[in-house]
Amino acid sequence: MGRGISYLAFGVAFGAAIVSYAAGGAPPAAIAGADQLQLFTRVFDKVRESYVDKPDDDKMVAAAINGMLASLDPHSAYLDAKALNDFQTTMKGEEFGGLGLEVMQEGGLVRVVSPIDDTPAARAGMMSGDVITAIDDTPVQGLSLKEAVDKMRGPAKTSVRLKVNRGANKEAREFTIVREIIKVLPVRSRVESGDIGYIRITQFTQQTYDGLQKAIAKFRDEPGDDKLKGYILDLRNNPGGLLTQSIEVVNAFVDRGEIVSTRGRTADQAQEYSARAGANLSQGKPLAVLINGGTASASEIVSGALQDLKRATLIGTRSFGKGSVQTVLSLGDNGALKLTTARYYTPSGRSIQAKGIEPDIKVRETIPDDLKGKVDSKGEASLTGHLKNGDEEKTGSEAYVPPDSASDAQLIAAVDLLHGRSPTASAKDPARGDD
Amino acid sequence: MIRKVSFLAIGVAIGAVCAGWAPQTLSTLSQGAYAAAADTYRQLNLFGDVFEKIRNDYVEKPDESKLIEAAINGMLSSLDPHSSYMDAKAYREMQVQTKGEFGGLGIEVTQEDGLIKVVSPIDETPAAKAGILSGDVIVGIDDESTQGLTLDQAVDKMRGAVNSTIRLKILRGAAKEAKEFKIVRDVIKVQSVRSHIEADDIGYIRITQFTEQTADGLKSAMEKVGAEVPADKFKGYILDLRNNPGGLLDQSIEVVNAFIDKGEIVSTRGRNPDDAQRFNARPGGDLSGGKPLVVLINGGSASASEIVSGALQDHKRATLIGTRSFGKGSVQTIMPLGQDGALRLTTARYYTPSGRSIQAKGIDPDIEILEDVPDDLKDRDDTKGEASLKGHLKNGDEEKTGSQAYVPPDPKNDKQLIAAVDLLHGVKHAAAIPAKAGANASGQAPTPSEGPMEAPAASPAPGSPDATAPN
Repeated sequence: MGRGISYLAFGVAFGAAIVSYAAGGAPPAAIAGADQLQLFTRVFDKVRESYVDKPDDDKMVAAAINGMLASLDPHSAYLDAKALNDFQTTMKGEEFGGLGLEVMQEGGLVRVVSPIDDTPAARAGMMSGDVITAIDDTPVQGLSLKEAVDKMRGPAKTSVRLKVNRGANKEAREFTIVREIIKVLPVRSRVESGDIGYIRITQFTQQTYDGLQKAIAKFRDEPGDDKLKGYILDLRNNPGGLLTQSIEVVNAFVDRGEIVSTRGRTADQAQEYSARAGANLSQGKPLAVLINGGTASASEIVSGALQDLKRATLIGTRSFGKGSVQTVLSLGDNGALKLTTARYYTPSGRSIQAKGIEPDIKVRETIPDDLKGKVDSKGEASLTGHLKNGDEEKTGSEAYVPPDSASDAQLIAAVDLLHGRSPTASAKDPARGDD
Repeated sequence: MIRKVSFLAIGVAIGAVCAGWAPQTLSTLSQGAYAAAADTYRQLNLFGDVFEKIRNDYVEKPDESKLIEAAINGMLSSLDPHSSYMDAKAYREMQVQTKGEFGGLGIEVTQEDGLIKVVSPIDETPAAKAGILSGDVIVGIDDESTQGLTLDQAVDKMRGAVNSTIRLKILRGAAKEAKEFKIVRDVIKVQSVRSHIEADDIGYIRITQFTEQTADGLKSAMEKVGAEVPADKFKGYILDLRNNPGGLLDQSIEVVNAFIDKGEIVSTRGRNPDDAQRFNARPGGDLSGGKPLVVLINGGSASASEIVSGALQDHKRATLIGTRSFGKGSVQTIMPLGQDGALRLTTARYYTPSGRSIQAKGIDPDIEILEDVPDDLKDRDDTKGEASLKGHLKNGDEEKTGSQAYVPPDPKNDKQLIAAVDLLHGVKHAAAIPAKAGANASGQAPTPSEGPMEAPAASPAPGSPDATAPN
């Protein structure tokens, strides 16, 4: 399931979202900064008065706010009312009207990563690898991924027509599909190789911890406590999400100790989060965590804590390196501000900002020729204006997960490790479970 | 002396400056403005709210002036690609640029492997009088090493108030002989007009940009050309506006007037009908004696250059040769903001005498001639044109993108120039005529570095080596 950059399909910016909701309402404006504000007001007035065409005031102010926020760092942003609504939908893990396709952009077209089970797209016969060339007669060429996704979404019971090229000889097909309410499941799980609990978290939404609990409970029935060799927690290409959820996820595997601490400029941003005793659901079974260049933010809190607490073995490639926390500050009817308010630190006190987390066992995937050079995440350190973190910054790594898990070298290494085999042995395991 | 991209070195974006200097008008509330005030207040409140939240809650203490500058830039760049904010320093540089003069030494410098190297001292300047030579490497300025300085920084240090003194440490020649010079700064004029006699009987005049010196420069050039070639032999003028990004509106009007005696030159229209202005030729302004005129244009001819080309074409006063021009049909006004720099704001569109707006369309030459672009510059020499700039002012359905902006360094290979000479000589098929080897009397027209370097900023100078900067 988790191939490529699926989070884009849900409209979440990459590596962008560790978020804690803060109550709105800053203290009343102080006099400081008044000079600067006055300069802005003067320019605003001059434009309104003298610009060659009548300017749109709302747009101008939005552009000013965006310009100001973009000058701070790559993760601070202005969310207008619509963007805020999308963002909340994503974070709540809420449902939307759509087809049930996980898609990515490839060569200007949109490619189906996979249809989600039991959705209209799956029932209509859409297949992984299908290339979408037109949506309701609008050519996809020239659309951004987000624009294409927006076109595919819509109210339930409305229909959409997709033109698709299938396979190497680009056989043209057309589908008319009726939209349904699609629930985005942030946690998917299966039994791997008969005795391992494989859990993939695609994002940290408000549903994530519940999903994790259910997945772990399911493993107690199948394969059962006696047989279960351990867990694989797959955080590859997981761009992050809610801070609180990442803390809960760590707590499901540890019983005590610090999980993460945050520090901002003001005292109330300094916080330490520790494990609650009794919340550990894992019965001490071995744990392997899969990470790659697309593992960011909340995912790095989880990986970093489990690594520092020596609770898990991290397998894969270096993570993205986003070590900052954004807070969503309400602006009433005008949307909200997503503002970087703190840095976070793993239990050992390190900041992974612009450095990422190194896996304990480095395993690289074999990348198909046509994707070579296209699947590396540049990493936080390569983003313009990123928060600095000393001299030893490091850029990103590969962010490719093979669609067929039989050729997923990182997954195979994790299975080998939990089976007590040398994880470098890359023998294929024919006994893996369904997908 | 403005070889290469001098305007970049002085910090002016190209294709950007068709600037009329407006007095700093105070806002007069029009009738609708009163009702709109409440809504505006809401907008400004929202902005203030965001500013306040950043000041209080951002992970680090933010730099407030930087925040506001970024906000202003964000707001202005959302309008169109030519509206922008200049901080105090950028504003000073722009003034130098448009004024066409500054306090300095009179050397053209370039950066090579991190070293500041003299391209050439300019005749009759303090640097030339002091004995600075082409090829000298400047290693120290007033006891400060130039190591690690950018070209801009070095140029900044060499410029300064007229009559102030500067010391330069220099290494000369292969033996790196160390020398020291003490030089008193003087007023240095940036030459925006250069001229020579082409093929013995044609006055070639190149305008590199429209500064406050341009109309005077053109007048002297025309006088000089007239003095060198007897009137009965004189075949006409070539006005080379290729890769000229524009400049001051009033100067472009003067330039047109030097070739015509009457009629409208250009009109501008802003948002308020009252702001519409019409500029006509002053009778007696024509210095050309009615001699034939060819204007060379290409994808890098923008803004004020397009006003000139458009007017001369509409009046059928000139034959335009080359490729389609850039297509910048808007006028920016510079509005000073006191100590805080200035605003460059698009305030009007301009229209050629026949009433057409060339915005996002450009001017098509009467005779299209493409240059042969060397392989290593292919596809990199095209300006994308106004129509390709994000957020450009729209102009109907028939927008057109830019064209070539390459001028061969060797005039012998300059097909556009050759075609112009042929036309003025009455030769019919330009392309069929063998290259006029050696016909270039002065041998210095389009100087080697001119052509490809002056492509509009929209497409960075192709293969540009280190920029040169006069100082």
